Amino acid sequence: MNTPADARTSVMEAQALSKWYGEVIGLNNFSLDIRHGITGIVGPNGAGKSTLFKLALGLIKPSTGTISVLGQKPWKNPGIHSSIGFCPDYESLPSDSTGREYLSLVGGLHAMKGAALSGRIAEVSRLVEMDRALDRKIGGYSKGMKQRMKIAGALLHDPEILILDEPLSGTDPLVRRDIIDLVKRLNKENGHDVVVSSHVLFEIERLTHDVVLIYKGRAVATGDISEIRDLIDKHPHNIVIEGEGIGGLAKAILDEGFTVSVSFNEGRTGITVQVSRPDDFFSRLPELMERSGGSVTKMYSLDDNLEAIFRYLVGR
Amino acid sequence: MDLDTALTGIVAIARHSFKKLIFSRKAVITLLITVFVAAVMGYAGSQDVDPLPDGTDMLDTLILFFFMPVMAMIYGASLIRDEIDDKSITHVATAPLDRSFSYLGYYISLALAVVVSMIIVNTAGFFAFFAQNDLGSEAMEVYLEFTVLVTVGAFVYSALFLAVGVMLKKPVFFGLVYAFIWEGFIGSLPGAIQKVSVKYYLRSVGSDWVDYGRMSGFDEALGPLASGLVLVGLLVFFVMFGAYLFRETELA
Repeated sequence: MNTPADARTSVMEAQALSKWYGEVIGLNNFSLDIRHGITGIVGPNGAGKSTLFKLALGLIKPSTGTISVLGQKPWKNPGIHSSIGFCPDYESLPSDSTGREYLSLVGGLHAMKGAALSGRIAEVSRLVEMDRALDRKIGGYSKGMKQRMKIAGALLHDPEILILDEPLSGTDPLVRRDIIDLVKRLNKENGHDVVVSSHVLFEIERLTHDVVLIYKGRAVATGDISEIRDLIDKHPHNIVIEGEGIGGLAKAILDEGFTVSVSFNEGRTGITVQVSRPDDFFSRLPELMERSGGSVTKMYSLDDNLEAIFRYLVGR
Repeated sequence: MDLDTALTGIVAIARHSFKKLIFSRKAVITLLITVFVAAVMGYAGSQDVDPLPDGTDMLDTLILFFFMPVMAMIYGASLIRDEIDDKSITHVATAPLDRSFSYLGYYISLALAVVVSMIIVNTAGFFAFFAQNDLGSEAMEVYLEFTVLVTVGAFVYSALFLAVGVMLKKPVFFGLVYAFIWEGFIGSLPGAIQKVSVKYYLRSVGSDWVDYGRMSGFDEALGPLASGLVLVGLLVFFVMFGAYLFRETELA
C-alpha cells in the first residue's frame, strides 16, 4: 500500500453520529474528521471507542447521524472491507488453527488464493515477525504473538486503512514497544493510514500527535496532542508531595499565584496541592524547596489517569 | 462483487467451518451416537427378528427421525451463534464478501458435516443389525435408500437449524423443543397436522422408495415428486431466510 495520501481528504468522517444499545448510549452526537497518517482515539474504558470502530466497519448501524470511511458508508457495504484492515481488542483468532491456516482463511475471504496468497502470507508474517510461528497452533501463542497475528490478518489484503482497537492492551513493555515500532513502520514505510485506540494517553503519544479524545460517547477534544495538553493544563491539577519539612514548603507554595489550595494529608507526612498552572508550579518548585528548607521524597499527580483528565475537559 | 470473489470466500468459509465441525469436541457426540446406535441395533439384530422390516423400522425410528434432526440441531444451532457470541465471526464480518455468501459457506459446511456424521451413524447401525441376519441385495438396497434419505434430511434440517441459530440468542433450547416435540411428536400425529413437519415429507419420499417396514405402508403420504419439491422449497426458504437475518444482524 504505497498510494500517496492526499492530506485534504478524510479517512474517516462522522457527523452527529449516535448509537444506542437500548437505553445505553454508545456514542452521542459524535462528530470527527480523521485525515491521513496515524490518528489516536483515546478514552477510558466504555467511552465509545469500540462502538466507533464497529460503526466504521459496518458491524452495527448508526441510530442517527452518519459515518463514512474513505467516502463510503460502511453499513451493508462489504466492498469497503477491501480497503480496511481491522485488529480487534478481543480474542478473535481460532485457537484450534495454526497461524498459516488462519491467514489462509482471511486471504480466502479477501479473494486471495494460490501462490499469491502463500507469498503474501510469508511477506506479512515476516513483517510482524511471526514467520517462525506460522505453523504452530494459535492456542499456544502468547498474548503478544496473538496481537501480531491479528495485525497480520488485518494487513494481509494490503488495506488503505488499518483500524487497531487497543493493540497494546495486556501486552508487556517489550511487546508494546515492538508493536508501537511496527505501527509507525506500517505508516511510514508501507503508507497505511492507521486509526489506533487506547485508554492510555502516553501510549498514543508515542505513536502520534493527532488524537481524538472520547469520553462518555462524545468527542471532547480533537487535534494535536500538545494543544490538548494545553487545554488540560488550563484546569487545576492536584499534586501530592511527601517529604521532610513539608510544613514550610506548604506555606511557600501557598504564597504563589498559581496555587488554588493546599491541604495536609493524614499523618501530616504530605500535602495535596491544587494548582491552576502546573507548568509554572513544576518550574518554581525547586526554588520553593530551597527557600523553605524542605525536601521532597515523593511527588505524583492525582490527575494522571485519563478519567480525571476527561472530567476536566467536560467541566465536571 | 464478482463471482470469483464470492466463490473463493464461500469455499474459504466452508472449508474452515467444516474442519472445525468435524474435528471439534462435538465430534465426540457423533462418536457416542455411533456407538450407541451400533449397540442398540446390534442387540436388536441378535434377537428373534424379521430382518428386513424390523431392520428398516430401526433405521427409520432411531436414525432418520431421531438422531438426524438432533445431530443437525447440535451442529447447526450453534455454528454461527457461537461465533457471534465469542466474536470470532469478526474475520468473516470484516471481509469484502456479502454476508449472504458467507452464510452460504457456513450452510455448505454444516450440511456436509451433518451428512458425513449421519452416514457414519447410519452405516454403523445398519451393519450392526444386518450383518447378523441378512446382508443380501435387498438389505443393501435398504442401506442405500436410507443413506439418500439421511442425506436429503441432513440438508433440510441443517438449513432449518442454521437459520434458528442466527435468529435466536439461545437457539439450543428452541432446537431441543423443535427436534423432540415438533418433529418427534407433531410429525407422528395422524391427520393433516403432521404435514407441518419436515418428517412428514421425508416419510412420504421414503414410502415411495422403501419396500419394507412401517415406512413402506405409510398411507398418508404425499406423492414423491410433490414431497421432494416441498423439501427443496423448505431448504431454499430456510437458507434464504437465514441469509437475510445474517445480513441484517448487528454484530456488536
